[in-house]
Amino acid sequence: MKASESLQALRRANPRATAGYARSVDAAADALRAQLVTTSADVAVEVGAPGPRTRHPAPRRRLARAAAVASLAAVAATAAVLTLGSPGVGPGVANAAAAVRQAATVTAASAERSGTAVVRITHDGRAWAGTTIRWHGSDLAVSRDAPQRQAKAGSRMLLVDGTLYGIDPVDGGWVVLGNPQNIDPDSGTTPDEYLAAVREDVGGETLHRIVDGMTGLTTRQLGDGSTVYSGTVPAGLIARESGFKEGQPIRVLPFGYVAHDEAADPAAPLHAAVTVSAGGIVSEITITWGTGASAWRYTVAYSRLGATTAPAAPPDARPLRER
Amino acid sequence: MTERERERRRRFDALFTSYSPDILAYCGWRAGSASDAQDAAADVFLTAWRRLDELPDGDAARVWLYATARRVIANQRRSSRRRVALYERLALDAATVARVPPSPNREEALVHEALRRLGSRDREILLLAEWEDLTPAQIAEVLGCLAMTARGRLHRARRRFRTAFEDLLARDDGGQPRREDSETSTTGYSVQPLP
Repeated sequence: MKASESLQALRRANPRATAGYARSVDAAADALRAQLVTTSADVAVEVGAPGPRTRHPAPRRRLARAAAVASLAAVAATAAVLTLGSPGVGPGVANAAAAVRQAATVTAASAERSGTAVVRITHDGRAWAGTTIRWHGSDLAVSRDAPQRQAKAGSRMLLVDGTLYGIDPVDGGWVVLGNPQNIDPDSGTTPDEYLAAVREDVGGETLHRIVDGMTGLTTRQLGDGSTVYSGTVPAGLIARESGFKEGQPIRVLPFGYVAHDEAADPAAPLHAAVTVSAGGIVSEITITWGTGASAWRYTVAYSRLGATTAPAAPPDARPLRER
Repeated sequence: MTERERERRRRFDALFTSYSPDILAYCGWRAGSASDAQDAAADVFLTAWRRLDELPDGDAARVWLYATARRVIANQRRSSRRRVALYERLALDAATVARVPPSPNREEALVHEALRRLGSRDREILLLAEWEDLTPAQIAEVLGCLAMTARGRLHRARRRFRTAFEDLLARDDGGQPRREDSETSTTGYSVQPLP
């Protein structure tokens, strides 16, 4: 056989020569395009996916501090509500600013103990990504709500009593992953770093930063007694710089989603709306940017602050090496 | 959006449209699994987007994307080697997927088996030339070596492939090519279906 004959056979075996390849590549390119838009830190937690690396030097120490101040803060928050009344009551912009900050304080105090946050991102009016986070003390339950992520590695995470549980991508069952600090995906955000960032977001620091930076405040009353405070916030106060990748800074929205377009430009003014319930608790934050086909909407809805029950360890979780 | 941003986006779209099939195909035979291939391709274009201003024009951009894809996949492999037990298990899964599915085409099955028998360096340079249609000079850029070195390596890889292919042909009894068990988990060679 001539050398050229073996090479011809090799060239004929090129997957691109197979029937239907062009159609497959179109579909794969579409999926890839979607992935580029929705790439987020939750992907980074998943096995092997590089992503932004956040730096949290002492998450355990901060947690301990947070736990210690939680009860004091809750007491202080209750006192604040009793003294100042509902934050939506005061007239005028100055009062609005004070009211929304007050609501942030109350909310942060409640959120220190427990709560539920539902994060949704839409692009051009279509759902792109979503996550539900429940926390109770140091315990966390994180689930990706996008249908394509169900039963995949990283689609659900549970941290109960310092032990991390994940989903087995093979059969969708729970597996015990051990101490999250021991898991290092090498490139990308470690589960421990991700969980530390989520704690910061649920702990009120993020909420305070957003509310403190709002300018051009306007208020709108809703029928259910809620008040919507709207204004602009520099993107840098919402999407934090969270490390570098390929020499370029990465900015991450609360709860771990990589910021795109204007949201990635720290100076860009983004439209923010904070909904405060009649009880003086922040129930929703909505950030919007871009127009037309580039319109993004990022929403975090808080609920059951201080009343979310602790997640339980899955009774059927298997040890990692069993199989 | 400023005019500069619009121009960046236009350039990226053109780059993506022109080269995403190439990069998806390349990642398909280099990555450990279909999902790794998809993630790697996504990472390549994210990197391209961030470094768009540094990207060369024309066909050099394609070579740049290949070189980036190669590094991304190398990172993926390094990561998978250093992960804790879950990740080790997933790597095992990847090795399981890495078995080439039986091909209805006899010649194709023999080609895949011959490729499997090559060393990873031979296989890589051979496929960059024969499947990705890169010249030795472009391959040298992707691999980070001299063009002369790439030429020499390519020559040797072609010779070894021919030897392996002919050996398989000579022993071909019409069934599936025999495969030594140890090779299936150590070569890391696979052609992943597009995700």
